[in-house]
Amino acid sequence: MSADTLEVLASAGKGQSTRTVLRFIILSLIAGAAIASRLFSVIRFESIIHEFDPWFNFRATKYLVANGFYNFWDWFDDRTWHPLGRVTGGTLYPGLMVTSGVIYHALRALTIPVDIRNICVLLAPAFSGLTAFAAYLLTNEMAPSPSAGLLAAIFMGIAPGYISRSVAGSYDNEAIAIFLLVFTFFLWIRALKQGSMLWGALCALFYGYMVASWGGYAFITCLLPLHAFVLICMGRYSTRLYVAYTTWYALGTLASMQIPFVGFLPVKTSEHMPALAGIFGFLQLLAFLDYVRSAIPSRQFQTFLWLFAGGTFGLGLAALVIATSAGFIAPWSGRFYSLWDTGYAKIHIPIIASVSEHQPTAWPAFFFDLNMLIWLFPAGVYLCFQQLADEHVFIVVYALFGSYFAGVMVRLMLTLTPVVCVAAAISASSLLDTYLNVKSPNPEEHQADDSADGSAKKAAKAGLKSTSKPVVGVYGWLSKGSVAGAMTVYLILFVLHCTWVTSNAYSSPSVVLASRMPDGSQHIIDDYREAYQWLRQNTREDAKIMSWWDYGYQIGGMADRPTLVDNNTWNNTHIATVGKAMSSREEVSYPIMRQHEVDYVLVVFGGLLGYSGDDINKFLWMVRIAEGIWPDEVKEREFFTPRGEYRVDGEATETMKNSLMYKMSYYNYNSLFPPGQAQDRVRGSRLPEVGPSLSTIEEAFTSENWIIRIYKVKDLDNFGRDHASAAAFDRGLKKKKVNKKKGPRQLRVD
Amino acid sequence: MRSLVSFVVLLFVAVVSAISTTGNRLLVVLEDVAEKEGYSKFLGDLEGRGFKLSIETPKSESLSLFHLGERAYDHVILFPTKGKGPNLTANLLLQFFGANGNILLTLSSGAATPSALVSLLTELDIQLPADRTGLVVDHFNYDSTSAPDTHDVLLLPAPGPLRSDIKDIFSAGAPANELIAFPHGVGAALGASELLSPILRAPSTAYSYNPKEQSEAVVDDLFATGEQLALISTFQARNSARFTLVGAAELFQDKWFDADVKKTGGKAVKTFNREFAKRVSGWTFQEIGVLRVNWIEHHLSEVGASNESNPKIYRIKNDVTYTISLSEWSWDTWNAFAVPKNDALQLEFSMLSPFHRLPLTHDAKQSNAEQAAYTSSFKLPDQHGIFNFKVNFKRPFLTNVEEKNTVSVRHMAHDEWPRSFVISGAWPWIAGIGATVTGWLAFCALWMYSGPVGGKKESKKTQ
Repeated sequence: MSADTLEVLASAGKGQSTRTVLRFIILSLIAGAAIASRLFSVIRFESIIHEFDPWFNFRATKYLVANGFYNFWDWFDDRTWHPLGRVTGGTLYPGLMVTSGVIYHALRALTIPVDIRNICVLLAPAFSGLTAFAAYLLTNEMAPSPSAGLLAAIFMGIAPGYISRSVAGSYDNEAIAIFLLVFTFFLWIRALKQGSMLWGALCALFYGYMVASWGGYAFITCLLPLHAFVLICMGRYSTRLYVAYTTWYALGTLASMQIPFVGFLPVKTSEHMPALAGIFGFLQLLAFLDYVRSAIPSRQFQTFLWLFAGGTFGLGLAALVIATSAGFIAPWSGRFYSLWDTGYAKIHIPIIASVSEHQPTAWPAFFFDLNMLIWLFPAGVYLCFQQLADEHVFIVVYALFGSYFAGVMVRLMLTLTPVVCVAAAISASSLLDTYLNVKSPNPEEHQADDSADGSAKKAAKAGLKSTSKPVVGVYGWLSKGSVAGAMTVYLILFVLHCTWVTSNAYSSPSVVLASRMPDGSQHIIDDYREAYQWLRQNTREDAKIMSWWDYGYQIGGMADRPTLVDNNTWNNTHIATVGKAMSSREEVSYPIMRQHEVDYVLVVFGGLLGYSGDDINKFLWMVRIAEGIWPDEVKEREFFTPRGEYRVDGEATETMKNSLMYKMSYYNYNSLFPPGQAQDRVRGSRLPEVGPSLSTIEEAFTSENWIIRIYKVKDLDNFGRDHASAAAFDRGLKKKKVNKKKGPRQLRVD
Repeated sequence: MRSLVSFVVLLFVAVVSAISTTGNRLLVVLEDVAEKEGYSKFLGDLEGRGFKLSIETPKSESLSLFHLGERAYDHVILFPTKGKGPNLTANLLLQFFGANGNILLTLSSGAATPSALVSLLTELDIQLPADRTGLVVDHFNYDSTSAPDTHDVLLLPAPGPLRSDIKDIFSAGAPANELIAFPHGVGAALGASELLSPILRAPSTAYSYNPKEQSEAVVDDLFATGEQLALISTFQARNSARFTLVGAAELFQDKWFDADVKKTGGKAVKTFNREFAKRVSGWTFQEIGVLRVNWIEHHLSEVGASNESNPKIYRIKNDVTYTISLSEWSWDTWNAFAVPKNDALQLEFSMLSPFHRLPLTHDAKQSNAEQAAYTSSFKLPDQHGIFNFKVNFKRPFLTNVEEKNTVSVRHMAHDEWPRSFVISGAWPWIAGIGATVTGWLAFCALWMYSGPVGGKKESKKTQ
């Protein structure tokens, strides 16, 4: 009786259904861990939308929920890019908002009243649980052992590289896009393995969802054809590949063209050409050749093949060149060039280079974001090489390209993370599978195997003592114990690292800043919201706010006021106009501000607090972007001292001191300090004793820590004077009489 | 409740502005209260027009332009005084002017202009002769009865309109034989400010000199001559508050109201001064030349479209109609405003710069005796954005009309384009789709209809 129970217990982990239950429980726990670790931001701060882009997505979601899908689809947003407006419905990826909207309405239908903000805040963590599951599925396609899948799931769940874009409140496209990316890849592998039209169609469906969600869909659009191409080059063309690829491509492209923002791009731009002309066309040719080969003798086929291949290649190339030069196909975009030449953007498109997440990645970032996965990753790729089925080729190709792009741009670390998790899981699981296996293989069996292989091999093997007596080598308890122990330590360290990174580096909303008081308690610096709230309560509803584009989405989302430019940097000239207004003298800026009907100007100033992400530090980008459009009026060189220094103190150049940005940042700043003691704590310089004076704008609001300063643009002078002399008169200075002796008298002509 | 309050306020405003559109509290500043006898007719005329006069001297303690931060008076007449005192500094006067108060400032060659006024005038881009003293003389157009030797009482015909496109509001209907006497006056030189416009300019033979310093010597350093000398000039601020500088205070005095004057070699004629003074003061105190925008309306003018008034948003290439209704206050009634003959009222439809600049034409259907409607219909440009309907009508001697109505112009919604079967160019493509669909169906039918070929062939193929 007792023996029976023991037997049952011992066999508990072996039955198929028990394993499924276990796997399900483990996956649920992983999803739970993935979600829980992303809630640090809510615990540390509050349930708030983070950073910049999420504020737009949040606003768009609110619009969608309030006005319905059709109004959202045709949304003309007249509260951004004043006075141009933005065809928002046609220039965004609606997937994220629609997802939240569907969840919102579903919950409402279930009579669960939930605030749309909470859905938006918690969407990314929820989807990260799904991503972990998708990683499990994808890895299961690669490795025979299900433990690899589970490892991949937990890696994916807590890898900081992915958490950085999916903490609670980080309501960005990437929140759902990474799940879609991984899941699309899984479906693609499935379709490819089975040659199944159904899986291909599902892959296309999720590809369509991906296109609707994130501009990074181009990564899939390029990676799948590349995978197919590599397979063809390896001589692995098969009908499975043909079916999977053509199904995916035809349906996926049609699906992607339904998104207004994408429209006809898939058949018009160079980025999409490999998928269309390259592989799709190529596969048709191959299928045709395959058919021809089966129909005609091989001798003739050789000649036919050469003629056909040469002719097709020549024709295709000519067609591509003609179509590109004639403008049917758009040439590579600047953002694309900057992927190949990291210096390109800095010279040609300052607006792209000015974004910090478009900078090349520093090497510690790889370790920071991936920890031990980064060294398990090559081992996993190596293991893929060993097996090298079609799906392993995919991992190899993905790993190669993912690594390159992650090295070029910081934000593309995100696309690398899935493949790192998968590859690392493969290597970690093969390590664990090898060393955790309790049973040693029977030497006799091995011998029998070896004898079948041949005597030469046997002789070589016999020379090594360790292999002939496996119990002392890999299969010994010592090696098993040490490797398993080391892996356990590494895994624990990995979890600790991930938790630490998540809690310390990636959970700050950046709308609210945290600092430590001398006694170690947390002090919240809430200047942004203070200022936005001030705008919301004290200005007309259609008061136009001019600020650098970084704050556009936040002003739109939090202050609900129209802005001139925002983080959707679609119009470089408009941004350059704002840059020019900021970097020019008041006399030049004022007409620009009048023309754009600006009511308030908002600047971020960190000099008092030592907050380095302020506008003076970003100022050179404004100058550069403005110089790109008006090279004669704004010159970057004039903002540097003759010795090439960028200074804000007494030795700053005249152009710098007279620029609107400088004046707005330091206006009245002296009054905080004893005379001559004004100090800028970001740039560590002492400011001149006499601060700048303003005549065309007046200070309206300065936040508690002086981070946000808001200025009101004055109306034209009531008496037709210029603002400088009007201000002088108000200060009590009498206007000097025009000296009649100088020059001819100005006569009035009516 | 709110509408009731605003109605009461409106009623109250209507009662108060029975005469001037901006109020009837008028402050008269004189050197000595007794001086008012000399201006009794002029002041009596003002009182007769409904103004409540308060007469003060600059030294008076109780004189204050503001009370608790609000204007204490609606209009001010400043007669020549020796000094202006602490309650009438340039800053205060400018502040009063900026707060929609109207100022009628008179000068006289007899008294040096106080420096406060000089700096006020400098702010308004008006220059007075050096040392604050000047006298305008004309050896050809003087009154031979009162100033046969000094030639400093100028006789001028009624001035006529400033430009051909401006309504003549100061001398319309003036009897041809009456002349304006401009006695012992100071001329000013106007700067280039577009807010300034002269009512009365000196004849080309006049000049200004300093009688105290330049009386003996030949005048070689003239302040200004001829038409550059503005005798009566106006400044209308951007908020439409009005300021008039009259170079000769005596022009308003009783003795010049009904004096007989005679040019050398001419007949003795009556002066036009009384009527002219009425018009100048009436203009300054917003009794004439005041425009009011009654309403602005714009709507879609497309067949079958909703006729909602003033929608916030239009679509590109919509047909819209814009109408503005204007009235002009003339002494005691609102009349329909008629655009002067050579002038035009224009509508701009602009985003950053105008996309359209269209004439607004008189719409008799919506006009009546009290208001005139001007309208324009046009097609919106093929550009989405935030546009302004702008009427920017700023003319000398008329209230500034600057009306901006913001509307958004959106793009075509996805279901507002013509369907593909309406576009003839799309027919080949539709036919192509149809052919493919039928072909595919036919192929499938054929495939399913034809049974599998014999097993012999099949086995051969596999080999």
